[in-house]
Amino acid sequence: MPHSSSTPPLRRSVRQTRDRLATALITAGGIGVIVAVMAIGIFLAVEVLPLFWSSADTPRIDLQALWLPQPYTGLEAPAHRWQPALPEGGGEPRFGMLPLVWGTLEAAAWSLVIAVPLALGAAAHSALFMSPRLRARLRPTLELMEAMPGVVIGFVAGLVLAPWLDNHLALGAVLLILLPPGVLLAGGLWSRLGGRLHRRLPMGWAAVWLMPWLLVIWGLAVWLAPLLEAWWFGGSLRTWLEVHLGLAYANRNAIIVGMAMGFAVMPSIYALAEDALSGVPGNLVEGAEALGATRWQTLWKVVLPAAGPGVLSAVMIGAGRAVGETMIVLMASGNTALMTANPLDGLRSMAASIAIELPEAAPGGTHYRLLLLAALLLFAFTFCVNTLAEVVRARLRRRYRRMEGLA
Amino acid sequence: MHHWQRSKRKSAGEGPWAWLAAGSVATSLALLALLLGLLAVRGLGHFWPADVALVTLDDGRQLAGRAVKEAPLPGREARERLYRDGNRDVDGDIWEWVALERIQDIAHPEDLVVLERRRWGEFIGRLVAIETASGERFSGDAAWPALKERLAVVEDGRRQIAQLREETIQPLVRRVEAGQASAEDRAALASAQSQVNARQAALPDDTLVLESVGGRSLRQPLTDVVRALQPNAMGPVDKLATWGQGVWRFLSEGPRAANTAGGVWPAIFGTVLMVVLMSIFVMPFGVLAAVYLNEVAHQGRLIRWVRIGVRNLAGVPSIVYGVFGLGVFVYGIGGHLDDWFFASRLPSPTFGTGGLLWASLTLALLTLPVVIVATEEGLARIPESQREGALALGATRTEMLWRVVLPMAMPAMLTGVILAVARAAGEVAPLMLVGVAKMAPQVPLDGEFPFLHLDRKFMHLGYHIFDAAFRSGDVQAAMPLIYATALLLVVVILVLNLTAIFLRHYLRGRHGTLPH
Amino acid sequence: MTVMQHTPSTSGALIDFSAHASSLEVRDFALRYGDKPALSNLTLRVPRHRVTAFIGPSGCGKSTLLRALNRLHDLNESVSREGSIHLEGQDIHAPEMMVAELRRRVGMVFQVPNPFPMSIYDNVAFGLRLQGRMPKRRVDDVVEWALRSAALWDEVKDRLRASAWSLSGGQQQRLVIARTLAVGPEVLLLDEPASALDPISSLKVEELIRNLKSTLTLVLVTHNMQQAARVSDYTAFLQDGELVEYGPTDTLFTNPRLARTENYITGRMA
Repeated sequence: MPHSSSTPPLRRSVRQTRDRLATALITAGGIGVIVAVMAIGIFLAVEVLPLFWSSADTPRIDLQALWLPQPYTGLEAPAHRWQPALPEGGGEPRFGMLPLVWGTLEAAAWSLVIAVPLALGAAAHSALFMSPRLRARLRPTLELMEAMPGVVIGFVAGLVLAPWLDNHLALGAVLLILLPPGVLLAGGLWSRLGGRLHRRLPMGWAAVWLMPWLLVIWGLAVWLAPLLEAWWFGGSLRTWLEVHLGLAYANRNAIIVGMAMGFAVMPSIYALAEDALSGVPGNLVEGAEALGATRWQTLWKVVLPAAGPGVLSAVMIGAGRAVGETMIVLMASGNTALMTANPLDGLRSMAASIAIELPEAAPGGTHYRLLLLAALLLFAFTFCVNTLAEVVRARLRRRYRRMEGLA
Repeated sequence: MHHWQRSKRKSAGEGPWAWLAAGSVATSLALLALLLGLLAVRGLGHFWPADVALVTLDDGRQLAGRAVKEAPLPGREARERLYRDGNRDVDGDIWEWVALERIQDIAHPEDLVVLERRRWGEFIGRLVAIETASGERFSGDAAWPALKERLAVVEDGRRQIAQLREETIQPLVRRVEAGQASAEDRAALASAQSQVNARQAALPDDTLVLESVGGRSLRQPLTDVVRALQPNAMGPVDKLATWGQGVWRFLSEGPRAANTAGGVWPAIFGTVLMVVLMSIFVMPFGVLAAVYLNEVAHQGRLIRWVRIGVRNLAGVPSIVYGVFGLGVFVYGIGGHLDDWFFASRLPSPTFGTGGLLWASLTLALLTLPVVIVATEEGLARIPESQREGALALGATRTEMLWRVVLPMAMPAMLTGVILAVARAAGEVAPLMLVGVAKMAPQVPLDGEFPFLHLDRKFMHLGYHIFDAAFRSGDVQAAMPLIYATALLLVVVILVLNLTAIFLRHYLRGRHGTLPH
Repeated sequence: MTVMQHTPSTSGALIDFSAHASSLEVRDFALRYGDKPALSNLTLRVPRHRVTAFIGPSGCGKSTLLRALNRLHDLNESVSREGSIHLEGQDIHAPEMMVAELRRRVGMVFQVPNPFPMSIYDNVAFGLRLQGRMPKRRVDDVVEWALRSAALWDEVKDRLRASAWSLSGGQQQRLVIARTLAVGPEVLLLDEPASALDPISSLKVEELIRNLKSTLTLVLVTHNMQQAARVSDYTAFLQDGELVEYGPTDTLFTNPRLARTENYITGRMA
C-alpha cells in the first residue's frame, strides 16, 4: 500500500477538539438565536406588567377602565373612547381599548368574508378540476400575490379603490351581486353547448377562459348600475343607504379594508387549503367516484370531511395574518376609533394604532405601556392561533398517512 | 405532493358550486392582473411625455393641460373632465375641472412647452422669448433652440455644484456640527462655499418670458428650470427617448417638492442597504439555528415544540417585531450605548433613536424564522446516506457538516435568504417605529469615516409610498410618483420571489438526479 | 490471541483460526433500539485478510451488527449496547478511541452508492484531506492508486473532474470503494454492496472484493446466497439477532450443522 496514512496523534486530538468546540458553538448559538426570537413575548409581558402595579412613575390602571365604558367629562353617558392624546385643555387622555379591539376584529372579519369564499373556491377548483399544467402555474402566481407588499395594496385600496367606490358605489354593489349569477350563467351556457366547445374550452382551463367572461359581466354591470340606482334607490344608493338604513358612508371604510386585506390574505389560505384538499389519499376519492359520485359530490361527501381540519387551519392562519396586518388597515381604514357595526364606517385597528402612536408615546408612560399591551395581545393571539393550526395540520398529516396505509 | 383526479369522466353535470369555484379562481387572477396592470400602466405612463391639449371653452377661455380623469357631474346627465394644467404660481393650483359640454375645441399646437421647475411644479404654456443677462434676446423661432442650448449649460453647472456639495461641503459641515473640526477644516469649508457661490454666479442668469394660454405672462429664471419639452412637436422616437430619460431620472435622482416630484434614488439606496445589512445578520444566525435544530439537538418532544414555535413566529405580525425593536434595540440597547459612548452628544440621541442598524436588526429578527424554516427543509432533504458516507470515511461531525451537508444545503439557504429579503423589502410597519425617515437625501454610506453610518436614518421605498400618499399636501399631484414607486417596489419583490421559486425548482431538480 | 470461546448460540462451530489471526473480535455483544432488542449475546471473530459474510433473513440484525463494527450507531441516541468489540485487541468503545479514527480504520460501503456531489477526484480525496494538509502530488498518487485498486481508473482517468453523480450505478459503487480505500483502512465493511446494481456491475464488485482480501479484512453483508458462496471464506448465519452458525463457507453451505441453517440456505425458510 503506497500511503498507509495513519494520522499523527496530535492532528487527531486537534480534530477532536475542533469538533467539540464547533458542536458547543452550534449548540450555544442555536439556543441563543432561538431564545432571542422567543424573547419577544417575554419582553412584551415584562413591559406591560407595570400597568397593573402601582409604581412611582406610572399610575396603576385597573382592567375595568380599559374594557368597560367610562364616564368622561363632556359626554352624557359612559362610553368607550380611545383618545390617548387630547388637544390642549381637553382633560385627561382616554384609554378605552375596546374600540381598537373592535376595529381589529371588524377588519379581520370583513377580510375573511372576502377571502374565505375566494380562497376555498379556488382551492377546491384547483384540487378537483384544474388541468395539472395550469395548476403548476397557478401556485407560484398566487405565491407572488402573497408577496405583494402591504403598503402597495394599502395605497391602491386607500387612494384608488376608495375614491372609485366613492363615485361608483352602485356599480360596485351591482358587480358584487352580478358576479355569482354571471359565472353560473357561463356554466349553464357551457353545458348546453357540447362537443367541440368542450374541447376548445375545457373545464380544466375554466379559470383562464372565464376571465374575459368577467369583462362581459363588468360591462353588464356598468350598463345596469345607473338603471338600478334610478329605479330602486332614487338615483343615489348612498343617500338611500343613509336615509333608509341609517348607514353613513365614510370614504375609507371597513368594507374597503376587507376587500384589500381579503386580497392580501386569500393566497395564504388558498395554499394551505389546497394542500389539505389535494393531500387526501387518492384511494378514498377513487372509491367515491367509482360509486358514481360527481367530483363535486366527492368533494362534499368524502374530501371535505377528511380534509376539514386542514381547511379550518388554513382559515385560522388567514385570520392570524388579517389581525396583525398593519399597512393595509392604516392606509385604507380612515383610522377613526369608532365602535359601530356599520361596515361603511371607518375603524382603527390595534396594529395601526401602534404604528402611528408608539413613536410619539413617551417610553415608560401609560400610553406607551398600553400600546405594548396591544402588541402583546396581537402576539398572543397570532401565536396561539398559529400553534393550534400547526397542531391540527400535524394531526391531519398523520391521519392521511394512516389512510394511505390502509389502502 | 400527491394529486388525485384525472379520471376522464365528463364534468358537465357538476352543478353550480363547481362553477362558482372556477369563478373564484378567475376572479382572483383577474384582481391580481388588474392590480399589476394598474401599477404598470400608471407607473410607467407617468414618464411618457403625453401630448398637451389646448382646450377652448365656450366662453372663449383657453387652457392647456393633460386630461387626468372624468367623472359624472352630480345630479345631471353630464360629465366633467379634470385637466392637469400646471402653473401653480399663475393660477393658484394645478388642476382644472371642465364640463365636457363647455368644450368647443381641442387642439394640440406644437409650440406649447412644458417646463419642469424646481419650484411651483410644471409650467404649461408658450415660450415668448429668452433674455440673457448680457441683454441678448431670442424670440420667436429662435427662442426654443436657445432655451435648449442654455439649459444644457445650466444643467452642467448644476451637476458640478451638486458634486461639490456632496463630496466636500457636507462632510465638513458634519464635522463642524460634531465639534471635531480643525482650523484647516473650517478654511476648507469656507473655500468650498465660495467655490459653490462662484459656480452659482457663473450659471447663465437668463430669464424666460413665458405666457400661459390664458394670456398671463410670467418671467421665469432659467436656473430654476429642470427640463423643457415641446411634447406636441415630438415624434414617437423622441418621446421614447424622453421616456427613458424620465425613468432614469426617477431612479437616479432625489425627491423634490415634499416627496411629490423628483426621483427615489435615496429610497432605493436606503432599502437596498438595509436589506443587505439584514441579510448579513440573518444568514449566519438563521443557518446556525437551523443546523442546531436539525443536526445537533436531541430530536425529542422539546425540539418538536421549539420547531413549531419558530415556525409560528413567522406568522407573528411585523408590527410586533417593530415594537420589540423599539423597546429593546432603540430604547434599551441604544439608550445605554448613548450613555456610555456618546454622552457628549446627549440629549440628542445617537443610537437611542431609530436608525439603520436597529432597522436591519429588527427586520433580521422578523425574517429569522423564514431562513430557519427554509434551511431546515433543505437539511432534511439531504439523504442520510450522504452523512453516513462522510462519517464512514473518518470525518468528525463538524467536518461532515462543513464539507458535505452545508454545501448541499446551500441552495436552500439561498432560497431562505432571498425569501427573507423579499419579505423585508416590502415591510414598512416595523420601520415606522425603528428608523425610517420621511426625508433623508443623504445616503448612509459615504466617503467619510466610518463610511457606513449605522446610526443615521434612511429612506425606504415602501415608507416613501406611505408618506407621499398620506403625509403630502397634494395627493393628486403625487399620485403618478406613488404609482411609479409602488411599481418599482413590486417589481423588485417579484424578481426576488421569482428567483427564490426558480432556485427551489432547481434544487428539487438537482436532488432528483440523486442515484436512488 | 485468546482462545476461541464457544457459547451455546454459536453451536460449537469450531473454526480453525490458527492460520489467520483475528482482526475484529465481538464479545457478548448485545444492542437494543430503545426497548427493542436487535442483537443479543453475540460472540464471533473476524479473521484477518479474509472475507467474512453475514447472511440471514431481513431484520435478522446482520446490518445492525455491521454498523456496530464502526460505531455508526453513535448517531442514533436511542441505541444502547452491552459487551465489547475489539479491533486488533483494542476496545473500540474505549474512551481513548476516537470515533473518527476508528471509522477511518474500519471503512464502510453502503447498499446504495452514495458519492458526494463533487468531482470524482474530490470524492476520492475527501477522506485524505480530512487527515490534514498533504502535497498535491501525494494526493494525486493516492487517488490514482485507490481508483486502480477499485478497478475504476481506466474508466475515469480522463474525466476526474467530472461530477461523481454522472457515473453509472456500478461505477459509483466502485468509486465509493475507492474513496474508502484511499484513507487506508484495515477493515472494509460492505453492506449489500451489489444489491442495487445490475448483474454485470455486481460481478465486477465481487471480483474487486476477492482481489482486496490480500491486503484487507472484509466483512460482507448480503442476502444473496450465491454471492456469499462465491466470495466469502467464512460465513455467519444470523437469525432474530442471534448468531446461529458460523464457519468456513464451504462447510456451512455444503454441510450445515443445524437444521435452521440448512432450511435457510436451501430456501425452506418460512
